[in-house]
Amino acid sequence: MSLGIYKGIVKPITSGLGITYRRLKHKKVTVSYPEEMREQFPRTRWRHFLTRYESGLERCIGCSLCAGACPARCINVVAAENTDEARYSPGERYAVRYEINMIRCIFCGYCQDACPTGAIVLRKNFELADYHREDFIYTKDRLLEEYPGQSDEPYTSNRKEWAEARADEKRR
Amino acid sequence: MAAATQIETVTITVNDLELTVPKGELIVESVKRLGFEIPIFCYHPRMKPVGMCRMCIVEVGFKQPDGSVRKMPKPQAACTLPASEGMVVYTDTEAVHRDRKGVLEFLLVNHPLDCPICDRGGECPLQNNTLFYGPSTSRYVEIKRHLPKAYPLSKYVTLDLERCIQCGRCVRFTEEISGDSQLAFRFRGANMQPSTFGLMEFESKFSGNVIEICPVGALTSSKYRFRARPWDLQTRPAICTNCSNGCNVWMDYRVDKVVRINGRTNEAINEEWTCDRGKFGHDFYNSPDRLNVPLVRRGTALVETNWSEAYSDCIRAFTSSTNTAGLGGNANSNEDLFAWKKLFNEGFKSNELDYNWTKVAPIADPTHAKPSIASIEDAPSILVFGSSLADELPIVFLRVRKAWFKNGAKVIVAHDQATDADSFAELVLNYQPGTEATLAQALADAKAGKSVEAAAKLTGVPAEKIAAAAAHLTSSTAIITSHELLNRPGAHDALGALKGLGELRNYALNANDQGAAEIGIGTGTKRSAQILADARDGKLDALWLLGVDPFEVCEDHDLVQAALENVAFLVVQAHTKNGAFPYASVVLPMTAPAEADGTYTNADRHIQRFGAVLPAKGEAKPAWKAFSEISLRLKPGRPWFNADEVGRALGAEVAAFANHSFNQLPTEGLPLV
Repeated sequence: MSLGIYKGIVKPITSGLGITYRRLKHKKVTVSYPEEMREQFPRTRWRHFLTRYESGLERCIGCSLCAGACPARCINVVAAENTDEARYSPGERYAVRYEINMIRCIFCGYCQDACPTGAIVLRKNFELADYHREDFIYTKDRLLEEYPGQSDEPYTSNRKEWAEARADEKRR
Repeated sequence: MAAATQIETVTITVNDLELTVPKGELIVESVKRLGFEIPIFCYHPRMKPVGMCRMCIVEVGFKQPDGSVRKMPKPQAACTLPASEGMVVYTDTEAVHRDRKGVLEFLLVNHPLDCPICDRGGECPLQNNTLFYGPSTSRYVEIKRHLPKAYPLSKYVTLDLERCIQCGRCVRFTEEISGDSQLAFRFRGANMQPSTFGLMEFESKFSGNVIEICPVGALTSSKYRFRARPWDLQTRPAICTNCSNGCNVWMDYRVDKVVRINGRTNEAINEEWTCDRGKFGHDFYNSPDRLNVPLVRRGTALVETNWSEAYSDCIRAFTSSTNTAGLGGNANSNEDLFAWKKLFNEGFKSNELDYNWTKVAPIADPTHAKPSIASIEDAPSILVFGSSLADELPIVFLRVRKAWFKNGAKVIVAHDQATDADSFAELVLNYQPGTEATLAQALADAKAGKSVEAAAKLTGVPAEKIAAAAAHLTSSTAIITSHELLNRPGAHDALGALKGLGELRNYALNANDQGAAEIGIGTGTKRSAQILADARDGKLDALWLLGVDPFEVCEDHDLVQAALENVAFLVVQAHTKNGAFPYASVVLPMTAPAEADGTYTNADRHIQRFGAVLPAKGEAKPAWKAFSEISLRLKPGRPWFNADEVGRALGAEVAAFANHSFNQLPTEGLPLV
């Protein structure tokens, strides 16, 4: 073995493996997503949700302030009047349509800031990939539905169980 | 006119800048000349100042002989303060800022601050003034005033009493402008609320205006309620085509649907007002009955087709005979009417076109100069003859009322029924139905000093009244009639007699009737009723209906039905399914007025441009485009590409329209040459 081969090939490889060997003692920084998931920061802004009062009435009053504040113009609100027979929110007005175009959304959170009733919130569910463009238009039904990451609790908790239950539901 | 008189001026000082203004001008107006802004709520330039809201307070002082300024101890309301010599006004001092904050905090004590669900939110003077001049917080922690919300005052107006800041604009509007005095204040202090007398329905022909002038969301539109927020809307200038006045409006639309009409200022036409017919009468734009594709009759059914097949059918029917006719009406642009006439004259070799549905034809000379609507204000006396103005031409009614209210014009109303104008008329000549010509002749006779006893007996109007009315008539009297008079017996005689008594105006009633007359539609041998009668008797081979529903404009429904059933070939060109639709051989979808560029001539020969606001529905085309394409199939040539080119061709052919094409017109329109 000539000196050249030693210097050019063997030494770099062994010294490189040395670095690898030394790192083995350190704690892992990666997680094996999607089986595991890192906890999100407390004020992470991802998927939008429309919240309800404890009474079950929607907080959203269809005021369109979120649409006005949205720099990406991705929110569409159509309002209508509550009646005593069909009551959706406490006041006179509610949103009959509420749509967010998630492809356009830049997750700035201005809608949440603008909302006078705290109806629209951005929470920690960041897994928003989908297969069809139409599916990125989040309608009022989807924004109101129960979904992991909707509460303030860490998004990682119970995620697997929820996904399995959800998959079961779908199969049925 | 006031322009010729010498105006006395005074010199005042506003924020250390000297300014010369007419003596007695209100300070709130004077400071605008320098570009300073004074926040206002109750003040409205077209109504008398009342100083109710105190928002416009300023510091005022007077120059002393030694050059110093002696300030008044208390701030003054700029909206009720007339300018006088040596007055010194400060709009921007610490004290003024503090006082404005105080006023706004006070106004907001009982304001519910439900801005997120208020229809005014986003375009609200109270919001704006609070943002610019108001305090950021309130010291008021007690319970606010609670009153009924969303009370339906009428089918157009919703009243939210909690939001009212008691400026009185709505009450003053009904007293000073519309004159129906429907609204008044009830109760005192914080509980004061605008309301109708006895909580009756708010019945006004101008109720929509109070929605616009309300500085908060207390009066809102029932039709616009929760339809959109201001930032959801797109707004473009438009012309109202519901009557011949041609009011300037703003058309607000959201996702290609009209949601609201607001008044647009044009001093020559409508100032800034709208009538309820115009403001709330635009539902047809969003109607589910809109026509989208051409239809042709195959067997008994109308089937969808393409334009060229529809054209072929029309051409076959209209070129195989010269015994054809066309009927128009309502709201067609000058371009449509001109292209229509040209197609009929040159392509179909027929001139039997009519747009007018009155019993007798309008005055033969359509180009006689018509004094402008704005000039009614300056007339010393006004005779409204045989017209219920508030119903027929609501905005002209407002001018007449303004002439009386502001300038003290003597108004004489002659009608066979009670009209809205009676309330402020100097004299009401309530004649027997059908005696219009006799009364008009009697007025002329009385003016000439002849006896009118016989006419008095016939018309039922006392001779003294006729004589008193005649005494008010001078050469500058504005005599206002409408085409409604043409449905009465002896209409031409009446108009002939009235012509010598003052400046006669005979206003058309439909949006572009005047334009149609100028273009020369209706110069054929047959009038509309005769054309229908011919169709009924099977003497007509083909009939073209341009944007008109004969069932709507012709009272004789049996005649219309028989005519439409018996005519061999019927073209219905319209934007919405109408009464004639089931009888059609060919249906050509047409754009509605707001969906295509066009110009419209109003009743006083003012021509205005109306640019496309909305996209055309489906395959609908402007009528002129369809006519142009048919002409090309008959005789090859250069087509028209846009409304401006049609307008230029019209100007080249009809002298009155020279230099009045779409692109040549300014925003506020021009009188015809």
